[in-house]
Amino acid sequence: MDALGTARVGLVVAFTLLGLFFSFVSMTGVLRLPDVYSRAHTASQADTLGAGFGLAAVALAIGWEAAGVKSVLLLLFIFVTNPTAAHAIARAAFEEGTVPWTEGDERR
Amino acid sequence: MWWVADADAGSDTADGEGGGEAGDPDAGSDTADGPTGQSGSDGEADRESPSAPTGGIVVPVEPTPTLRATVAHAVETAVDDGFATIHLVEIASWRNGDPGADDRAASAERVLERAEAWALSDLDDLDGERPSVTVATELIGADEYLFGPDDYVRVLAAYAEEHGADAVLLDPEYTPVGNTTLLQPLEFALSNTSLSVETAPVTRPTRRERLRSEATGTRFVAMFGFSLAFYLVLGDPFYWFDWVTGVATAAIVSITLSRVSIDTEPAVPRTPMRVLRGVIYVPVLLFEIVKANVEVARVILDPRLPIEPTMNRMRVIVGSGLPLMTLANSITLTPGTLTVRARDSDLYVHSLIPSARDGLFDGSLERWTRFVYYGRASARLPTPRERDDCAILQGPDATEELPIAAADGGASPGDEDGEAEAEGVTDA
Repeated sequence: MDALGTARVGLVVAFTLLGLFFSFVSMTGVLRLPDVYSRAHTASQADTLGAGFGLAAVALAIGWEAAGVKSVLLLLFIFVTNPTAAHAIARAAFEEGTVPWTEGDERR
Repeated sequence: MWWVADADAGSDTADGEGGGEAGDPDAGSDTADGPTGQSGSDGEADRESPSAPTGGIVVPVEPTPTLRATVAHAVETAVDDGFATIHLVEIASWRNGDPGADDRAASAERVLERAEAWALSDLDDLDGERPSVTVATELIGADEYLFGPDDYVRVLAAYAEEHGADAVLLDPEYTPVGNTTLLQPLEFALSNTSLSVETAPVTRPTRRERLRSEATGTRFVAMFGFSLAFYLVLGDPFYWFDWVTGVATAAIVSITLSRVSIDTEPAVPRTPMRVLRGVIYVPVLLFEIVKANVEVARVILDPRLPIEPTMNRMRVIVGSGLPLMTLANSITLTPGTLTVRARDSDLYVHSLIPSARDGLFDGSLERWTRFVYYGRASARLPTPRERDDCAILQGPDATEELPIAAADGGASPGDEDGEAEAEGVTDA
């Protein structure tokens, strides 16, 4: 395998690991954070990068083919839908009158 | 006091009298009340005992197909009910300083001039002595962005108060923001003011005509091209069958959705420039996301979990619709900040850590959004902090009340959170 191929494999591995890392952070955040708002932060955001790096790795591994282009499109859609979904959840909580957790409140 | 004629009543009488000319006022409004039945009796009873307002009548003006008839009706109303002045006002859906604001103001002035000319000629055409009704025109609301019916009503009410007007006549086709139908929300919001409201009982051109005139043209072409391109990316652009199904799909999509999805006419060079600047914005946003993500990851993985979540309010200076959505979603995408609510130009943003909040109040995303939609010159503006357009709603630094029912409803924070929540639910 030539140098270019090795670099590509390296990048794919790096992106996959980064994606795993951010997905792990996201999961940890959902478990540790105190209320619906802060969980919505981490569930959507760390996930954006988690799925983002994962799909970037896929696109890089597949290369300039139909499936690779589609995974780039998927990436774009995640970047549009993810914040929209997070906003919908947070807004629903807000309209239900859920007061955001602040420092000093009991952890739930 | 008069009636509130149902907006749809007018369309029911679409047969017969085409333009709704000034000629026969009573015939026009009676047929409008007729078919609806239930609202008719109200209207007539009120008309018998007119406690006629004497100040002025405000008519919001937009270049609609029914503007001519609405102006005619305004003249009739002013003469019959004894209004001294007809105020023809155009409410700006843009803000001074936006690119193209001058052009839009100029075309608004032309519409106002035309409406004024119509009103004056209607007054001249009346039988007998010319009534002492004056016509005033004004362009209002261009010094700020107006977001929803409430904003429009606020501007209208301020104008009405300033000029001693006490009634509003709405054009049934009045749609100041793109193709969003504002009539019913406007009527509702106006009913909370001391102004009396009427929707002009004028005949509309048939719906089909209007659809045809709007759906053709650039919106349709843009939507068609976009859908077809997307379809072919997913399919195989070198296979004839995908072209056949793609054209059919794109046609269906653009026929049904071009009026819904695109609310401002695509224009050269504005739209390509926006796309280009959007492409510049993407890497900037990506960099911000990665940077903030690392910060948030550090906080989450820290055993002490050093978070200080607060709710914040920020008044943003971007137009409604797509620009506001872009900004709100960019804020949510950037870790540590989450857009919870967009109430007109106020964004309620939840922040996880103080540094994210400070970044938010520095307004770099707001400036970038303005750059994408309005160009580089418009991106230079003071930060929300400098404008005093931001507030923290929780915690030790709070400067404003949290606008949540449960927040002021009582239970001391901390001990009985569950109950506070339950109260909020029942209140809502």
